[in-house]
Amino acid sequence: MITFENVTMRYAKGDPAALQDVEVEIGRGEFVFVVGASGSGKSTMMRLAILEHEATKGRVLVAGHDLSTLPNRRIPVLRRQIGTVFQDFRLLSGKTVNQNIAYVLQVLGQRRHVIRQLVPETLELVGLSDKVRRMPHELSGGEQQRVAIARAMVNKPPILLADEPTGNLDPTTSEEIVSILDRINRTGTTVVVATHDTSIVNTFRKRVVQLRDGRIVRDQARGEYEAVEVELV
Amino acid sequence: MRLGFLLGEVGNGLRRNTGMVVSVVLVTMVSLFFLGLGLLAQSQVDTLKGYWYDRVQISIFLCTPDSTDVAACADGGVTQAQRDRLAADLEGLDPLVEQYFYESNEAAYDRFREQFRNSPVLDNIPQESIPESYRVQLSDPTRYEVVASAFVGAPGVESVEDQREVVDKLFTFLNAVSLSAVALAAVMVLCAVLLISTTIRLTAWSRRRETTIMRMVGASAFTIHTPFVIETVLATVLGAALAIGLLWSMVHFGIAGFLTDLLAGQGGMIGLIGTGDLWLVAPFLVGGALLLAIVTSWMALLRHVRV
Repeated sequence: MITFENVTMRYAKGDPAALQDVEVEIGRGEFVFVVGASGSGKSTMMRLAILEHEATKGRVLVAGHDLSTLPNRRIPVLRRQIGTVFQDFRLLSGKTVNQNIAYVLQVLGQRRHVIRQLVPETLELVGLSDKVRRMPHELSGGEQQRVAIARAMVNKPPILLADEPTGNLDPTTSEEIVSILDRINRTGTTVVVATHDTSIVNTFRKRVVQLRDGRIVRDQARGEYEAVEVELV
Repeated sequence: MRLGFLLGEVGNGLRRNTGMVVSVVLVTMVSLFFLGLGLLAQSQVDTLKGYWYDRVQISIFLCTPDSTDVAACADGGVTQAQRDRLAADLEGLDPLVEQYFYESNEAAYDRFREQFRNSPVLDNIPQESIPESYRVQLSDPTRYEVVASAFVGAPGVESVEDQREVVDKLFTFLNAVSLSAVALAAVMVLCAVLLISTTIRLTAWSRRRETTIMRMVGASAFTIHTPFVIETVLATVLGAALAIGLLWSMVHFGIAGFLTDLLAGQGGMIGLIGTGDLWLVAPFLVGGALLLAIVTSWMALLRHVRV
């Protein structure tokens, strides 16, 4: 579903590589933690996958699209197949929970009856059916992140990318959030979570791809993550 | 993107940026007002010139039944024999007379009606008092006197006129008005372009979260850009409407209402533009506003809103 073939990424000429010769394949329906210290290249991988940036060298393939040859006008088509979740939630503060999620479908030109059906369905998936009329500032951090996940999933994309989704949350809430991502994964969605949160990685025991200074140093099924070791190196 | 949603986005954008939108409206209004003023000054020049101005140098007006106060017309209207005689004389002045045209009373009356369409004096002038004429084109316009002396006082000739002498000073003035107005308009259009770019930049900044989300979920560039463009188009079209309103007041009350009465009262007869001329100019103003809005906002969006 997502393939990195010998990918190197430099943000500017002469800069050190943010990713160096990265070679990884993530299959359909997999759940992968991409782990590593800050600056190890996790977010860069995410940005390359949604074509926020183009790889300096190598090929990135996502959902059947070769991103190195994808014309600009096809980028929206790619992005409709990927849901994205960020550390800072990125909700629209002037809209209710319901409106925040409906916004995605409105932008994509969905009909009203489709929106009326999909929004409650998605809110149920993340357990927020009772908070539809709340404003984001009335919600806890965990609830806001659940709204963000609902928004990412309302269009039913086959891939979900989450960049540090638990970065602003306490350990218990973090676990709830990853449980939701796990539940989404069980419905067949490919889920990639970039994180440096050791506890969630060690609790959920999924495939772990570890980055250090832009290189993959470990790719392990049902892996663990000891952040301290990495930080010391 | 559905129309209702699009309009909602446009409404939100306008509400959030009221101050900037008002300034775009006003700057567009001022720039298009000056542009309109320049164009109207040009149509005033064209109205004054009439049909013959750019074609001939001299007009030889023939006697009408009313012009008995002129010695050469003591016998009343010009006769066919006199007409033929004058034509033969004109032929004789070749090569100085390069070309000449005969304008009949009917044709002259039609042109007169066209030229003075906005003037109340039109109703008081009967067709027979508009003279028929020979319009003469000279190979050397400076030798006007040669032709004038040959025809002044000839039987059947009421008067010989070099109309340019009278109106050219006025044209110089009107052309200066027209040029300054268009120059001012150009400066104001530049202001409008800069202001629209800045407004879009600010709007894009205040709406960056929405556009980021739109981008992430796979909205097309068209979907992301359209609300911005529509907001700008609405602001500039409103500006154009206000400019046209101002120009209309100027023409309706200032020229048609005031100047025409003033000139008629003084006994002067001068063809003036009316609101009809404004409606000919107005589509260009609205078109200009649309062009300004669409081109400028699209350029600004390419710079400030990533897709």
